[in-house]
Amino acid sequence: MISNKPKTDFTHPIIQSYSRRKILKLAGAGALAYTGSLATACSNRSSSSTRDVPIKIGVLLPYSGIYATLGDSIGAGLEMYLDQLGYRAGGRNVQIVAEDTEMKPDIAQQKARKLIEQDKVDLVAGIVSTGVLYGLREYFHNNKKLLICANAGGNKISRDMKSPYIWRSSFSNWQPNWPLGLWAYQNVGNKVFMSAPDYGAGHNMVDAFAHSFQSAGGTILGKQFTPFPSMGDPAPFITEIRKSNPSMVFCFYSGSAAVAFVKAYDEFGLSKDIPLVCSGFAVEEDVLPAQGSAALGAISGLHWALLLDNETNRKFIAAYKDRTNVDANVFAVQGYDTGRIISHILDEVQGDTSATSRMLESLQDVSFSSPRGPFKLDPQSQNPTQHIYVREVKEIGGKLHNVVIEDLGEFTDPGDNSLG
Amino acid sequence: MNDLIVQSINSIVFSMLLFIMAAGLSLIFGHMNFINLAHGSFYVLGGYIGYTMISKIGSYWMALIIVPILVGLVGATIEFLFLRRLYGKHRHLEQVLFTMGLALITADIIRSNWGTYVVTMQTPLLLDGSISILDSQFPLYRLAVIGIGLTIAVALWILMQRTRLGIILRAGVFDRNLVSESGINIQAIFTGIFGLGSALAALAGVIGAPLHSLYPGLQFEILVLTLAVVIVGGLGSLQGAFFGSLLIGIADTFGKALLPEISLFLIFALMAIVLLVKPRGLFGAQSN
Repeated sequence: MISNKPKTDFTHPIIQSYSRRKILKLAGAGALAYTGSLATACSNRSSSSTRDVPIKIGVLLPYSGIYATLGDSIGAGLEMYLDQLGYRAGGRNVQIVAEDTEMKPDIAQQKARKLIEQDKVDLVAGIVSTGVLYGLREYFHNNKKLLICANAGGNKISRDMKSPYIWRSSFSNWQPNWPLGLWAYQNVGNKVFMSAPDYGAGHNMVDAFAHSFQSAGGTILGKQFTPFPSMGDPAPFITEIRKSNPSMVFCFYSGSAAVAFVKAYDEFGLSKDIPLVCSGFAVEEDVLPAQGSAALGAISGLHWALLLDNETNRKFIAAYKDRTNVDANVFAVQGYDTGRIISHILDEVQGDTSATSRMLESLQDVSFSSPRGPFKLDPQSQNPTQHIYVREVKEIGGKLHNVVIEDLGEFTDPGDNSLG
Repeated sequence: MNDLIVQSINSIVFSMLLFIMAAGLSLIFGHMNFINLAHGSFYVLGGYIGYTMISKIGSYWMALIIVPILVGLVGATIEFLFLRRLYGKHRHLEQVLFTMGLALITADIIRSNWGTYVVTMQTPLLLDGSISILDSQFPLYRLAVIGIGLTIAVALWILMQRTRLGIILRAGVFDRNLVSESGINIQAIFTGIFGLGSALAALAGVIGAPLHSLYPGLQFEILVLTLAVVIVGGLGSLQGAFFGSLLIGIADTFGKALLPEISLFLIFALMAIVLLVKPRGLFGAQSN
């Protein structure tokens, strides 16, 4: 039967969502979904059990706005993993229903309701921005629906806003930055100026870095929280940084703001004199090509690197490039691992998605070798336990990449605010 | 002190970019009494087409001339085919809906052509360096933006003050019917204005791309700032667009430098204050 074919159901109500993701693909997907539903209808007649109804995974990602690349990458990673399984897990077919959050908490809530109440999805994955994650927390908690967060790193969701129904396959904002702060004090300099966007993630990352940096004896010369989501012209911020004359700059930016900041940092001549140490997202593979040589020498901490040397990663980056024609990035890895976690849950309950408590239980012992290295879900913080790497942007074979210069070891979110 | 000077130069660079955008939007608003929410789309379209053209033919300067002409023609065509059906006193809602739709369609076209990755236009080789201003390094390209902005301001001023076309345009802001009744083909003028406005937006796009890169959502960011400029400066006034840009540019830069957390708020607070004191903006026409 053709029931093994991937079925992707892009149900976009035109008025609510203006992303109209991959318009051209849509026609094809529609045709597939049609043949798919025919196949389901046929097999229903023969066995008429729920086993043949596909499991629906709701996907909430930004497909428009400044973090659209992140949404695309997570989606591509997730689809790649499910595709490798032939879109089957727990003995049932698996189907994705994707919705655009537009990175707005209110829109995301509408879309979450639509996915759960109208499309009757069995669980939801995705979420790029911390604001959206915090906004959705009550809804998933109260409705006892499982949410696997594939990016948004807001610390609170591993701490005082923890819910048994929300688990994270990505990171907490604390995770890459606390170890990096300590390392930077020991290896780069003792006076730092900090710059980050003025929203939850920006504050989390700055606080984590500042905690270990200061505890080790470092001095913070100044902090700058810039407008979010768009920082606009970065020149005034760069001029302020130079005024403070630090021995290093720590920054966290992502997407277009990361490109604007790193380029201006170089154009105004700061990159020659003041080392840039950043949260890995600021120079990740999705923005590096646009930053170009401006990013050379930037040091960053993250839970993955494109050229990280392990077998799972080698296979992953080759397959991803083959599939999408672009290099993988950390977001694609998170999407891929999210697929892996979902298939683990579904296998554990043998496709019975009504067994919510068993699904939650199965998350306690998730452990596998990820492209990022050894990966475990920590039952305490409901967040990954993973290695953090120090990386430096270097030119390799005519292209810029993040090269791992040190493995800082395994880290788990502390689960409270004691360490920043 | 040095910082103050460098920040002042930063603010003028940003003001000039805003001015090129705002001059076009102000023309369209002021003369055609048409609300154009697709102005930011012409900006990003200019940037992306410029990016492709530069990667194909390798010359930034060619792109700087050709792209505005191309996008200007697109704008004129859109006016000719669609917008002229939406003119009229009480049709602002239709204009808003139509141009918003246009902006969303453009966003999708850009998405399918250029993807969602951030795209950077390389700084033209000639200006790819920096000079020392009071012992801090300042990028040459940013200084050139000031020069280009001032050149365009002067060119537009000559067009408006010293040519017959300029007289017609200025007259149109005050009394469109009178212009029409003097035997001037107002439809053709409108097509021209919309084309010119779109071309200016595209020009700003090509100039702005090496500074701010290109990415999904940029068109609405730039649109909001441009609307603020036009409202502060006053509809249909070139001086308004110029001084409005300076005001918003200065507020933006010094807001970011001194109070980064509330810098965006400062711009809109400024706009609100101007509207309270002068409801038609600093240089707005007194009747329409």
